[in-house]
Amino acid sequence: MKTNIKLLMTGSALALAALGATPVLAVGTDAGSTITNNVSVGYNVGGVAQTAINASNAIIVDRKINLTVAEVGSVTTTVAPGQLAAVTTFTVTNTSNATLDFGLSVAEITGGTAAHGGTDNFNAAAAPQVFVDSNGNGTYEAGTDLATFMDEILEDGVRTVFVVANIPVGQANASVAEVNLIAQARDSGVVGTQGAVSAETAGANTAGVDTVFADIAGSATGDIARDGRHSDDDDYTVLAAQLTVAKQSRVISDPFNGTTNPKLIPGAVVEYCIVVTNASGGGAADSVAISDTLPTQTVGLVGFGPFLSGTYTGVAPTGTCNADGTSTPGALAGNVVSGNLGTIATGTSRTLYFRATIQ
Amino acid sequence: MRHFLLLLALSLPTTAMATNAVALQSNVFVEKMVTDTKGRSKATLQEPKIVLPGDRLIFVVSYHNTGAAPAANFIVTNPLPRAVSYQGTPDAMAQVSINGGRDWDMLSHLKVKESDGNWRAARPEDVTHIRWAMKQAVPVGATGKLSFRGIVR
Repeated sequence: MKTNIKLLMTGSALALAALGATPVLAVGTDAGSTITNNVSVGYNVGGVAQTAINASNAIIVDRKINLTVAEVGSVTTTVAPGQLAAVTTFTVTNTSNATLDFGLSVAEITGGTAAHGGTDNFNAAAAPQVFVDSNGNGTYEAGTDLATFMDEILEDGVRTVFVVANIPVGQANASVAEVNLIAQARDSGVVGTQGAVSAETAGANTAGVDTVFADIAGSATGDIARDGRHSDDDDYTVLAAQLTVAKQSRVISDPFNGTTNPKLIPGAVVEYCIVVTNASGGGAADSVAISDTLPTQTVGLVGFGPFLSGTYTGVAPTGTCNADGTSTPGALAGNVVSGNLGTIATGTSRTLYFRATIQ
Repeated sequence: MRHFLLLLALSLPTTAMATNAVALQSNVFVEKMVTDTKGRSKATLQEPKIVLPGDRLIFVVSYHNTGAAPAANFIVTNPLPRAVSYQGTPDAMAQVSINGGRDWDMLSHLKVKESDGNWRAARPEDVTHIRWAMKQAVPVGATGKLSFRGIVR
C-alpha cells in the first residue's frame, strides 16, 4: 500500500489546483458559468509511477428565469370613498440565476372573488399606477418612489412595489376592488433602461446560454406557469360612513297659551332639530357639515343657539333631541342655519337644533 | 498486493517509462424526467445542452489502457466542480474526501466539525473530491467507466 499512498498525494495536489471559483448563490449557479469537471488518473507501470493523465469536460449553465410576486400582509386595504393614492404593497423577488429587469403592470378584475374574500364590484377611478420603493423603507412616498420598473435586479434581489389607486367618490360601503400586480422578466444590461421582454429559447438548444422559464402561475388572468411572469393580488375594501338625516320639530310656545299646550299659530316658536345618524358597520364620518334654509313663513330666533353636536336619544325621527349642544350664535345667518358637527362615530347620532318664529 | 506488484515489476521492467499509456475522458449528462404517452415519468440521460440550477448531472469517466503494459495502482481522482453538489456514486470502491483531497474514506465514515465544535456525520454536499482506486491492475487494452451523480447548485 505504500505506493498507493504516494499516488494519493499526487492526486490531491492536482485536485486542489483544479478547484474552480464559481460563485454559488441560493438561487443557483449563475447563468453563463462554466462547470468544468477535471479528472486525473495516476498509475504505475512496472512499479514506476507514471505521469498523471488529465481529462476535463465543461458545460455552461443556462439561464433559468423565475420570479415571485407576493402581497405584503394578508388583509384587505381599507379605503374611504374618494381616497387618493390608496396604496397596496407587494414584493417582487428575482429567483433566477441571472440579473434581470422586471416590467410592472396592474390588472384589475371585473366581478369574481377578490383576494381577501368578497366580490369585486368596482375599479379604481383611473388605472392604478405602480412604483418601486426606491429607498427601501417599505413606505410609499409620492415624490421619492418614482421608478415604474425594476432595474438590474441581482439574483435573490427583492424590491417592494406599490400599487397606487384612486378610489371613486361616492363608492358604497363594503365595496371591493381587486388589483393584481404582474411582474414580467426583462433582459438586463443597461442601467436605467428597461430591457426587452425576456424570451425563452425556442426550438433546438444552443451551445451558448439558453433561457428557460421556471415561474409558476400567478393570480392574474392569463398568468400561466412558465411564461416569464408572475403575479399576486390584493384588494381594496371601502369603509364608508352611512349617514342619514332627519328633521323633526316641536312647538315651544304661542303668544296666547305660552308654553302650556302651545299651538302652531302665527307668532308661535318652533324648535327644529336636524339629526345626522351614522349607521353601524361603516366608517366614522368627519367634518359633517349641515346647512338648512328656513321656510319663508318662519324667522330664525336670535338668542337661542343654534346648538351644534347635541346628542340624541332613541331612533330618528321618533326619538328625542337632548338639550346638550354647543351654542353657536354665528350658525344663524339670515334665513340659513349652518354648522359643522365634527366627527360622528359609527352607530351614533349628532344634532343641530334651533328655534324659529312662525310669521 | 505487494507480491503482485513485485511480480509486475519483475516481469515488465522495460515498459515502465511508457508515457500516456492511458486514455481518459470525462463526460457529463443531464438526467431529465420525461413523461411518456401513458403518463409515466422516466429518467433519461441527455446531452447537457440545457443545464439549470437544480438539474441532476451524471458524470462519466471513461478510461482505456492503450499502453503495452498493465496499469497498476490505478487511481482516478475527480475533484467536484464547486457548482456541483455530490449525490453519490454506484461504485462501491469509490472513496470521497471532504477536505480538498487530504483525507479519503467512505462518506459514512467521515465527520465534519461544525463551528460550535461538535462533530456531525458528513453529508453528500460536503464532498469535495471523489476517487476510485483499483485493487487490480488495468490490463492492456482494458476499458472501463466510472460515474457519479451531482446536482447543479
